[in-house]
Amino acid sequence: MEKLYTICIFTENTLGLLNRISGIFTRRRINIESLSVSETERKGISRFTIVFKSDEREKVEKIVRQIRKIIEVLAVFGYEDPDLVFNELAFFKLDTKNAAGAKQLLEGYKRAKVLFEDEQILIIEKAGTEEEIYSFFKQLKPYGILEFVRSGRIALSRSEKGLAQYLPEAEWAYNI
Amino acid sequence: MKNPSSDILTEKEIPATASATPLSGSEAVIRSLLEEGVDTIFGYPGGAIMPVYDALYHYQDQVNHILVRHEQGAAHAAQGYARITGKPGICLATSGPGATNLVTGITDAMMDSTPLVCITGQVFASLLGTDAFQEADVIGITAPVTKWSYQITDADEIPEVFAKAFYIANSGRPGPVLIDITKNAQVALMSKEFRYTKCKHIISYRPRLQPKQEQVELAARLINEAKKPYLFVGHGVLIAKAEEELKAFVEKTEIPAACTLLGLSAISSDHPQYVGMLGMHGNYSTNKLINEADLVIGLGMRFDDRVTGNVAAFATGAKVIHIDIDPSEINKIIPADAPVIGDAKAVLKALLPLVEKRERNDWLAEFKELDKEEYEKVIKEDLFPEGGQIKMGEVIHRLSEKTAGKAAIVADVGQHQMEAARYYRFKQTDGYITSGGSGTMGFALPAAFGAKVGSPEREVVAVIGDGCFQMTLQELGTIWQSELPVKIIILNNNYLGMVRQWQQLFFDRRYSFVELKNPDFITIAKGFGIDGMKITEREELDSALDTLISSKKAFLLEILVEKELNVFPMVPSGAPVSDIRLE
Repeated sequence: MEKLYTICIFTENTLGLLNRISGIFTRRRINIESLSVSETERKGISRFTIVFKSDEREKVEKIVRQIRKIIEVLAVFGYEDPDLVFNELAFFKLDTKNAAGAKQLLEGYKRAKVLFEDEQILIIEKAGTEEEIYSFFKQLKPYGILEFVRSGRIALSRSEKGLAQYLPEAEWAYNI
Repeated sequence: MKNPSSDILTEKEIPATASATPLSGSEAVIRSLLEEGVDTIFGYPGGAIMPVYDALYHYQDQVNHILVRHEQGAAHAAQGYARITGKPGICLATSGPGATNLVTGITDAMMDSTPLVCITGQVFASLLGTDAFQEADVIGITAPVTKWSYQITDADEIPEVFAKAFYIANSGRPGPVLIDITKNAQVALMSKEFRYTKCKHIISYRPRLQPKQEQVELAARLINEAKKPYLFVGHGVLIAKAEEELKAFVEKTEIPAACTLLGLSAISSDHPQYVGMLGMHGNYSTNKLINEADLVIGLGMRFDDRVTGNVAAFATGAKVIHIDIDPSEINKIIPADAPVIGDAKAVLKALLPLVEKRERNDWLAEFKELDKEEYEKVIKEDLFPEGGQIKMGEVIHRLSEKTAGKAAIVADVGQHQMEAARYYRFKQTDGYITSGGSGTMGFALPAAFGAKVGSPEREVVAVIGDGCFQMTLQELGTIWQSELPVKIIILNNNYLGMVRQWQQLFFDRRYSFVELKNPDFITIAKGFGIDGMKITEREELDSALDTLISSKKAFLLEILVEKELNVFPMVPSGAPVSDIRLE
């Protein structure tokens, strides 16, 4: 059975790295479900969070080892959902004429709010897991969704181990 | 007379690696290469690399530049050079088509863990991404087939990037790296002093050379417990220069040792513990007994599908020790009971005191028993035919005897490659250079002159099929111009022989586009100023080989061989190794 896996990759911030990483997925014909990249707490280090489906844990381990081989990659970790705290963000655009109903719906939801409103459009923000966002989507649908966007997943592991273990502070100063 | 004390003073004042006047990027490129001890470059000039060529003009006394006839030839020549010297091979090419022509060779080097530093010119940084003349996204094109790549757009970056490139190419599991340099970075003057520091450490790249002790101990325990252990020797042993350690290991443990295609010559073909070659066209015993072993040890090899056949039916009764420097190879194809990550030399050194001395005559005798069967059904006829046309096997056998097993055989891809691997008796390390993982036709001619440049004292013999030869035959021009005494044997059957063999065996003899109408190879060689000779009869073979070997210059010997010869034994594609066929 296919399961979701999340891979967190810590890399030096250099050009062309996304190409090398995505190439490993392409060669194995794996579709990336979501991808997010950002700077970490350490200067010059980026964090990739990649979510994809696989029917075997073993295949995921092979991908992790192949990504580790990329020269600029500092560390790679593969996770299943229970290992992680994770979330996404979604925006929904609606016609302002449906604002009243949509706003009423918001009251029953946690971490959902109006982000923007004018005479024409209403933009609602919803944070949550993929599942929560899609269930919210279904509820909101009758009010006419003009446009919808989801961020990639961001995730932190539940383990107390942090990046500090792999990146000595002497070599990688904090950003802030 | 030199004053030693003043020398020391000078050294202190001006370090050898620094230059007071600002250098152009191009000169910094050449100086960086010199700092890395580069003595040979294989290249081809063009618009976007011209400033580097202009700088090179002034360093001709320090660097030997070999002008190839096609950039693919430069890449393969650099591979041949790297494989025989253990140093990175250097290629220089222009942007666009110059760079894309390198790609086949880079891919080949990636598959066979060969260190290359490829330097390509690129359009001005201001023109990047605009489809400028001869612009190609070389970094993008080569990303999947390079160990590392970098685009330099600023002359100041040159020393640091080159130092990194050389370190990455030739450390850990070696591989090709590519440096793309925009033209502005070549022509600009550096804003700071040229200072070169060799790279010894990259924080995000830490190849493990020394194995973990507990991994070594577990491996040693499995070896000591095993009744029928079986050692697979791969390219990693040659790369690590661990031939002596390997010999000591097999002599102490008496474990039968077989080589992969790229592992050939890591142990002498005459060594009592050497049992032959693994793989689709390896020996009968070496394949057949994989499923009899209770322990297999993969040493610096990667369980390629041409070695394993059907993975599910491979080494079914055996525990597996997998020794490799690349952690991503562990469990990739064959699950390992005892993985050992490390350099082959370091691992063997660590294992040696822990393994017990054993006699394994009975186990070894099982190999010898099956060898008799292979000899009767295949080898006898291949090496000592009583009639008919010349066979590839007998050519290789005679060549092996006449060169005392000490030549470097550079084989192309196909039947002749397998026959050369099977019948040359390797007595000296780095004796077999071929394209293994990629199977790149056209590899041998350029790789052979690359090897000859790297090891001028060694007899280098290229063994090439008529099909392969026509893929890179323009490199005869390079051999001529550079006066490289490369010996070339074309084993001509007027067929793409290996494809024809498969069509015969698996496609009911439907010979679909495999017959070649060949040119007169001797006339072609003569056109390139290279002497040659064609033979068709067995009686001529000995004297023709003598002429080839005794020639002080390059020589091309074309031998017309049996048209529909098949290479046996053979493990049909995807079949279990134990299904190996003798006919």
